[in-house]
Amino acid sequence: MAIEGIMENVASDITSATKTLFETMIMLDLKYDNSFFEDDTQIKTDVIGMVSFTGKYHGVIALFCSKKFALKVASTMLMTDLTDFTNEVKDAVGEVSNMIAGNVKTKLTAQYGEMNLSIPIVIAGEGLSITAVNNHPVVAETTLSCFSKDPWLMTPFISSGEKFDVGLLLKESSK
Amino acid sequence: MPKVLIIDDSAVMRKIIQRNIQQSGLLVDEFVEAGDGREGLEKATANNIDLILCDWNMPNMTGIDFVKALRGSGQKSNIPIVMVTTEGGEAKIEEAKNSGANGYLTKPFTPDQLKSKLGNFLLVK
Repeated sequence: MAIEGIMENVASDITSATKTLFETMIMLDLKYDNSFFEDDTQIKTDVIGMVSFTGKYHGVIALFCSKKFALKVASTMLMTDLTDFTNEVKDAVGEVSNMIAGNVKTKLTAQYGEMNLSIPIVIAGEGLSITAVNNHPVVAETTLSCFSKDPWLMTPFISSGEKFDVGLLLKESSK
Repeated sequence: MPKVLIIDDSAVMRKIIQRNIQQSGLLVDEFVEAGDGREGLEKATANNIDLILCDWNMPNMTGIDFVKALRGSGQKSNIPIVMVTTEGGEAKIEEAKNSGANGYLTKPFTPDQLKSKLGNFLLVK
């Protein structure tokens, strides 16, 4: 099967894993749309939670979301109202990415043999403070820009009115 | 009253597990936490632990290496261990059992699934 076909199968596993996660541990509504290859090599986002995997195929599964959504998910998981983007919120995003990737990896392993998962990495953008000439600080709402040479296969989701994406990069490993 | 050691590199996950156990009606007197297998090994041997819940993928010492190390240590080597991990599939479950784990639960899980799994090791109020 061509790599694009395999990626589309994996995207279906991503949808299923995300749905299960939201039904068991996040308990927020979830809608999703068809996966698509993201043409733009620069993906703009606030937060990225990513887990890489190696084996017959290697790649990355990444959650791209806003800080607002990250706060919402972390608040729900911890059953508390979080307002600041703390390490606890980043930890929650890492766990969400980890649980999606873990479930996808189990399905990949069943088809393609043993694979290994990395520990999740979370990257979050911070507001950039620029001091103007008249000494009044201007805080710019910056986002991260994630560059990739290969197109991400993105699965778009909406939960609690907030959009987020789960992206996949996949390559066959050298024999 | 039982003392439970939770080993997971995610503090959020340790909190979720702890909260689910507290709300489940399972009898636990105290929770001890560790962020990786190495810390888990220290805490398992230094405390009177009755049950260990252990993640698989962690820095410094993985969960499976922790299980092998504890079982091979001679000290406290018979404490029940339940793996709570995103690692699924028959091969991983078999590997964990062969290494000495007594139970296996894949993340994500519902509170009922956790209660059902731990009910083999803890009493209910």
